Amino acid sequence: MSNLIFEKGNFGREGVSVPAAAKPKKDIYSSIPDTFLAKKNYDFPYLSELDVIRHYVNLSRLNFSIDTNFYPLGSCTMKYNPKINEELSSMKGFVNLHPYQDQEDIQGALYIIHDLEKMLCEITGMNRFSFQPSAGAHGELTGMLMIRAYHCAKNNKKTKVIVPDSSHGTNPASAAMCGYEIVQIKSNENGLVDISELKKNIDKETAAVMLTNPNTLGLFEEEIKEIADISHAKGALLYYDGANLNALLGITNPALMGFDVMHINLHKTFATPHGGGGPGSGPVGVTKELIEFLPVPLVDKKDNQFYFNYDFPRSIGKVKAFYGNFLVLVKAYIYILSVGGLGLKEISENAVLNANYLKENLKKYFDLPYDKICMHETVFSAARQKQENDISALDIAKRLIDYGIHPPTVYFPLIVKEALMIEPTETESKETLDNFIEVMKKIYAESKTNPQLLKEAPHNTPVRRLNEVKAAMDLDLRWNPQKPFDNHR
Amino acid sequence: MAYISNTEKQKKEMLAVLGLSTVDSLFASIPASIRLKKPLNIKGSLSEPELIRELEQIASKNNSIDKINSFLGAGCYEHFVPSAVRYITSRTEFYTAYTPYQPEASQGTLQAIYEYQTYICLLTGMDITCASLYDGASSCAEAVLMAHRVNGRNKIFIASNLHPEYKRVIYTYSCGFDLDIKEIPCNAEFLLNLDFISRNLDEHTSSILIQNPNFFGGLEEVEKITQIAHQKGALVINSVYPMSLGILKTPGEMDVDIVVGDGQSLGNGMNFGGPSFGFLACKKEFARKMPGRIVGRTVDKDNKEGFVLTLQAREQHIRREKATSNICSNQSLNALAACVYFASVGPIGFKKISQACCDNAHYLYEKLSSIKDLVFPLRGIFFNEFLIKLPMDAKELLAELEKHKIIGGLNVTKFFPEINHAILVSCTELKTQAQIEDYSDKMSKIFRKEKINTKI
Repeated sequence: MSNLIFEKGNFGREGVSVPAAAKPKKDIYSSIPDTFLAKKNYDFPYLSELDVIRHYVNLSRLNFSIDTNFYPLGSCTMKYNPKINEELSSMKGFVNLHPYQDQEDIQGALYIIHDLEKMLCEITGMNRFSFQPSAGAHGELTGMLMIRAYHCAKNNKKTKVIVPDSSHGTNPASAAMCGYEIVQIKSNENGLVDISELKKNIDKETAAVMLTNPNTLGLFEEEIKEIADISHAKGALLYYDGANLNALLGITNPALMGFDVMHINLHKTFATPHGGGGPGSGPVGVTKELIEFLPVPLVDKKDNQFYFNYDFPRSIGKVKAFYGNFLVLVKAYIYILSVGGLGLKEISENAVLNANYLKENLKKYFDLPYDKICMHETVFSAARQKQENDISALDIAKRLIDYGIHPPTVYFPLIVKEALMIEPTETESKETLDNFIEVMKKIYAESKTNPQLLKEAPHNTPVRRLNEVKAAMDLDLRWNPQKPFDNHR
Repeated sequence: MAYISNTEKQKKEMLAVLGLSTVDSLFASIPASIRLKKPLNIKGSLSEPELIRELEQIASKNNSIDKINSFLGAGCYEHFVPSAVRYITSRTEFYTAYTPYQPEASQGTLQAIYEYQTYICLLTGMDITCASLYDGASSCAEAVLMAHRVNGRNKIFIASNLHPEYKRVIYTYSCGFDLDIKEIPCNAEFLLNLDFISRNLDEHTSSILIQNPNFFGGLEEVEKITQIAHQKGALVINSVYPMSLGILKTPGEMDVDIVVGDGQSLGNGMNFGGPSFGFLACKKEFARKMPGRIVGRTVDKDNKEGFVLTLQAREQHIRREKATSNICSNQSLNALAACVYFASVGPIGFKKISQACCDNAHYLYEKLSSIKDLVFPLRGIFFNEFLIKLPMDAKELLAELEKHKIIGGLNVTKFFPEINHAILVSCTELKTQAQIEDYSDKMSKIFRKEKINTKI
């Protein structure tokens, strides 16, 4: 492990040169009264630029990333992030824009927002999008707040939201933040929404049903139209969690399936990098009945000029200052321009082909709870390994790291025991998939011949398995200047 | 170009393994009635040179701040971003990684976040912080909800001089909760009315949220407000402009309970308002009530130090509807930028930049205060931003300045219809003497002319 940045440097060393005030302070008449001013200096380390660069470059090398490793993390769509998107989105004309500049000064930015909205409407069948949400969960919150506003405007008494037991944790968490009670329904033996369970639980007080399709098992909800009809008959709206949209581009869309509100994770389907935990972008789209509730402003066009339209008196308001993670929008926009309509369909076809290829080749070795053609991802179970050799999904995940592969999502969805959720994405080649299959076969063999090897894994990483219980009990959430290893002064 | 690696031949081989002849048969589970009947009507697929031409052409329709002399602030500022920051955040090992769920494969991101957390704690004088939130506005909303979780009370007081967009986000976020939100009025200097606070806070008050420096640039009496609030058992939430903390007292020193803010000024571009990041720091007793991801230091099985995501029992993927927040992805790369920013400028550089912002604004103030027609309600007590009341319509003045390639500030009436004829002006360390003087000269000329006109 590398020393902390706070343990490096030397007192008095200078970093990058920073600009001084335009006029020396003594020449300035007015100033701030003493009572407001800090009395002491910060305990920041004194570092040269080289100290800083070497420290963080070395830290970066401790990471697995798409550009260095196969990263089949289920539900996260870790596809390649094209470099042209990074380069073009960092042009001064985008980075140096202030959100409160006059409309005449920002026509290029407004054009992108406007054009990207049209593209996403074409892809999803929705009528309008807001780009304000910063991530998928933020989009869910925004969508559910709109559903709440819709019901309030109609004086519908609605108290609860239905989610399947296979749903992402953000779904119930987002609905709960809107004041709704959560009703979780069991999936059927095929891993799909159980229609009879839905009928049993839905009633006139149901505000919405939240689904992702394909669901988190990577299976398409074939009865989606019936689900939509049942929901709508009770006056409930259908929310589409767009985390798994990468399976369906150009093949079907949420509007055709009967969804009313949705979000898209631009950092999944539209290839913008995840940044080690953000910034993402979670634009939220609606059918025309809900447009008036979207967060403000939207971008519209009048007299050949784009402008921010705030004229939505029933809008839920705002979920973020300004207009969203604009640079992420620019990257997604460039991606769609480079791919085009036909390319988008090709993306989904190849994402699904890659996932099925893995599924077919691995099902001899690991249990496949739902053995049918999957969409963009597939979920295995290590239950057999657990029973026979006490090898868990986590052990397999950790062993994969030794082979230079980022583990799949584990222990999710919750309805599969010892779940291993694998999403290869369309950008990976057959060679990479074949290598992954070979590695998984080796791990399968090791689980029988040398289970200890898996239990002790990973072996080749900067740190071994970490004590998470200690982390949560003896909270150490920051470096502290008083601690004895403070040696920079 | 769809960035697909497999060749046609490979696709055929893979389909053969599946016992299928066409890709389309993979989608058999999707009923025909909901299949798209025609291809997506989306232009593309542009080659790389075409993309460059297209985007350069679009960008050229933006009149970016580097081409103008701008005094706009109001929550988003034109600060210096060291090359080292851009270089590190462009490392693909950082930006093409996911949230660090597998610590052994993510120590780079995890340690960097731990260091970020330390910098934010040192900056604010608070005990702990999370790994970042979306932005300053949503951090305010999360803080209000967090205070409500901590004490179960439901009356909230928010400053009327809080950033108007932040206010709106708080109202939007809280509509599903049983909260009673009231605004604290201001006095003639646009500072919070302390009498009102004394009279209205009571034992049902969950929190009081103030912004310092406030939206109009003024400095609030945070210590007094904190004392009043604590007497009633209410928590104090302070929204800060991190750059100001280079020279101003930290909220920690003033016994604030929760500090929030937007990290744009710390190594992030203006980016047309996003991405930046939000931060939330607090006293350590609230650790288990915090929203968002948190990185902790621990040891591995060989007793070697390492970092993990911790206190995950608060989070949505474990607690689902009982989580402290629904947040999952945050703004990790922007938080990394802040961490590298602090490391790069160091303690001396950070103070120097903060002082330069303040001095430049005060220099501008001094130049403008010789113009008799302008009124300065803050009376010179501000960090880098101040309100000017005008004898004319703000829109007209700004349009006049725009002719000289100057963005003279924000038209305040846009957000506060009750405040007529006022602009909000800010300076950062990037303003040069020439730019500041250009602004004050043009203002002097405009008002001299204005005066002549009104006399006639």
